[in-house]
Amino acid sequence: MSTLTTTNSNDNYLNHTKGILSWLCTVDHKRIGIMYLVCVLFAFFLGGVFAMLLRFQLLTPEGMFLTQDQYNQAFTMHGAIMVFLVIIPAVPAALGNFVLPIMLGAKDVAFPKLNLFSWYLWIAGLVFFLLALATGGLDTGWTFYTPYSIDKASSMGGVIPALIGAFILGFSSIFTGMNFIVTIHRLRPKGMTWFRMPLFLWATYATAIIQVLATPVVGITLLLLIVERSMGIGIFDPAMGGDPVLYQHFFWFYSHPAVYIMILPAMGIISELISVHSHRHIFGYKFIAYSSIAIAMFGFIVWGHHMFTSGQSQLMNIIFSLVTFSVSIPSAVKVFNWLATLYKGSISLNTPMIYGLSFIFIFAIGGLTGLHLATLATDIHLHDSYFVVAHFHYVMMGSALIGFLGGIHHWWPKMTGKMYHEGWGRVAAILVFIGFNVTFFSQFMMGSKGMPRRYATYAEMPEFQVYHIWSTAGSVILAIGFVICAIYLLQSCFAGKKAPANPWGGRSLEWQCSSPPPWDNFAEQPEVGDCYDYSVLEWNEEEQGYVWKKDVLHPGEANG
Amino acid sequence: MFSIISSLLATPQGNPENFWLPKQASTVAQSVDFTFNLITWICYFFFALIVIAMLVFMIKYRRKSNDHEIVVTGPTHNTALEVTWTVLPLLLVIVIFIVGMRGYLNLREAPADCYEVQVTGQKWSWTFSHPKFGAIEVGELTVPVGKPVRLLMTSNDVLHSLWIPDFRVKMDVIPGRYTSLWFEALEVGEYLLNCSEYCGTDHSKMFAMVRVIPQEDFDKTLTKLASEYEDMSLGELPAYAINRLYNRCKSCHSLDGSIGTGPSFKGLWDRVSRGDTLFTSGEELSSLLGDATFYGEPENYIRESILNPQAHIVQGYLGSMPSFQGQLKEKQITAFIEMFKNLNEITTAEGEISVNPDGTPRQ
Repeated sequence: MSTLTTTNSNDNYLNHTKGILSWLCTVDHKRIGIMYLVCVLFAFFLGGVFAMLLRFQLLTPEGMFLTQDQYNQAFTMHGAIMVFLVIIPAVPAALGNFVLPIMLGAKDVAFPKLNLFSWYLWIAGLVFFLLALATGGLDTGWTFYTPYSIDKASSMGGVIPALIGAFILGFSSIFTGMNFIVTIHRLRPKGMTWFRMPLFLWATYATAIIQVLATPVVGITLLLLIVERSMGIGIFDPAMGGDPVLYQHFFWFYSHPAVYIMILPAMGIISELISVHSHRHIFGYKFIAYSSIAIAMFGFIVWGHHMFTSGQSQLMNIIFSLVTFSVSIPSAVKVFNWLATLYKGSISLNTPMIYGLSFIFIFAIGGLTGLHLATLATDIHLHDSYFVVAHFHYVMMGSALIGFLGGIHHWWPKMTGKMYHEGWGRVAAILVFIGFNVTFFSQFMMGSKGMPRRYATYAEMPEFQVYHIWSTAGSVILAIGFVICAIYLLQSCFAGKKAPANPWGGRSLEWQCSSPPPWDNFAEQPEVGDCYDYSVLEWNEEEQGYVWKKDVLHPGEANG
Repeated sequence: MFSIISSLLATPQGNPENFWLPKQASTVAQSVDFTFNLITWICYFFFALIVIAMLVFMIKYRRKSNDHEIVVTGPTHNTALEVTWTVLPLLLVIVIFIVGMRGYLNLREAPADCYEVQVTGQKWSWTFSHPKFGAIEVGELTVPVGKPVRLLMTSNDVLHSLWIPDFRVKMDVIPGRYTSLWFEALEVGEYLLNCSEYCGTDHSKMFAMVRVIPQEDFDKTLTKLASEYEDMSLGELPAYAINRLYNRCKSCHSLDGSIGTGPSFKGLWDRVSRGDTLFTSGEELSSLLGDATFYGEPENYIRESILNPQAHIVQGYLGSMPSFQGQLKEKQITAFIEMFKNLNEITTAEGEISVNPDGTPRQ
């Protein structure tokens, strides 16, 4: 018995039905995952174009080619697109949708139609954001801080469409989270106790809890903002008796946990990558699993650290500072456990693993610089400076997005049935790593020296130009890396080598069905054992992939 | 042990700019920098630990390209080790928290005998008023060296945030309430003050200069500042206005003809007296000037543009200017008008200010 696949091997989810409608009306989690992937990558391209505009504008202290208002729009759209349309849905909705049910040996998520509805909500959200651009633009920053966003004389006309867009995207996120929680609770296969779940599932589960509990708060907040701006009911505007700082509390009550919506699933991917590509049982499974839950829980009670200079009471600042440090512990635990997993492994330095190791390097910097910002005395100086910009790009882009890229490369053979060009893959991964660090490390330095964020020009502080030039140069390297990546991935779809069922030697269930998976994943839900025990696999030259050892029984086949 | 670490990380008071941080120019900067350096060294240590371990494992356990054999080695967990690397960082962050909290209280608790300045943030300028002298400064804040100063701040419109990097102090400036911060400058000099909370179009031009002057000159300077324009003749007013009042306008109105958030001041008086300015309403200024018209004298148009800027908005601009009603004395409005009339004498062709407040040529 070499594989669990029981359906005809030529039939798969890509060719099972044909035509554009068979995609747009599909309830198959794999197709929805691919649709999300395509859309999220499109939005990433859009957000990236805005990012490049920002970087080139800042090459000189007087600015290169954007007016102040154009720059303000560009950084707002960059932030809003990257947060709401890219990083939040990237891993759970795109990769999670594809992988999660297969990892469970299930045929689909618990609510397939709701899953498709989430995707349409995402599309509606995108449409509203584009509408915001068309109806006067958006210049509030992705945070929509009050009273700026309420005052029609200050902010541009696209605020309400953008708020509606973010509100709708919130529902998309909630539905995906709900779907995953129910799926993990109800559809686990025989033998998969909670502590035998692949760690990616623990991470998506923890993420889903945040999505379901925190997103409604921002939904209501954005709704209040819409009401206030359109009808003049005073909630956040002091001119109408409201409280602008209250808005910040409401906003960060969601948006801080949202940071963990972005990073937790990426951490889940890294746990898989590190273990599979070093053929080494994950070290300290339970600590990693619990640390995901701990991060999700602690994430709810630290929002006030975004407001250390907002005038909230000193006691509150002290409490929020203390609690914020608690998040650093489970994050550190994960890093140490990943390192221990590498110990005595058989480490393959292939493309997914380069992204995995890049993640550890970059997340170490992103996490450690969080200490400067959690500490009250230093945060007062660093708040709203480029130091903060560098810190959250190290976490949200360098970590979350590189985790996402690692995941794309790890599961690409499974999703498309094709192998990408490994050599170009490595080149792109290394360019992304170098480009990223050059772009953002220089931002730490200018931030701590006094460069405030969201500046279109810095004519009074020409000493920062050298850092901006470094940063822009880095962003060009980064962009080249992404372009190469896009080219060889697209090329592989048409001319890539056929992928084996299990090219890396993974043990979780998705590697036990063919690549690409059949329409219904598994004819019968398989039984599972320890998903990090690689001793049952061996290399098969003919398949150019790993197969189950002939003399070892599958779980559930004992004495069969 | 602690004292050894302290002496390694502490910098002498007034330390110049280094790799990470700008010059220390206030009394609290030293302790903020100590905390910063402490955390940074902890970061260096853990970063080195993580990256070196990773590199060593990457090299030592690297898989050969054609090696496909799976050999199971290494432990799957080690509870003692894992508890250690959970508890040790926990103890360390508690230390960081306590050091940071003490530094913060130090930053926040103003001494009892502070010199007080009231600060108003308004798109996109800073106004500083000295209640003790009745003096108002715009775009410049004059404070005495070696004396604690408390800024009591509020905003006229949206959120702003006052940051003086060399002093390591920052506080949001919020409409409808007061916030405060304090500092004590170590040395005479000029320090940049900026807005670090996004506030719209010209956020990145919302600067002011903190001028730290000797204590013995302070009273004299401020007394003069409070009343200098009162005794000035008409001919002295342009030099005063361009140096003392124009700071409030400069983020939007250029002196060199370049287009900003508002029209440039260069050639403004010519345009106004000719009357060929078009408004968004479609009217031309000339139809509002002359005997028995809306404005009568062109000076009235300037006056209204300052006190009620929304009345007539020049075509091509959004009309983002706030009203300055109640913020300027009559003589200061006159000073503005004189400034416009004589702009060519007090600025260069490139739009640089060419006179000092007392009318002497600027070097």
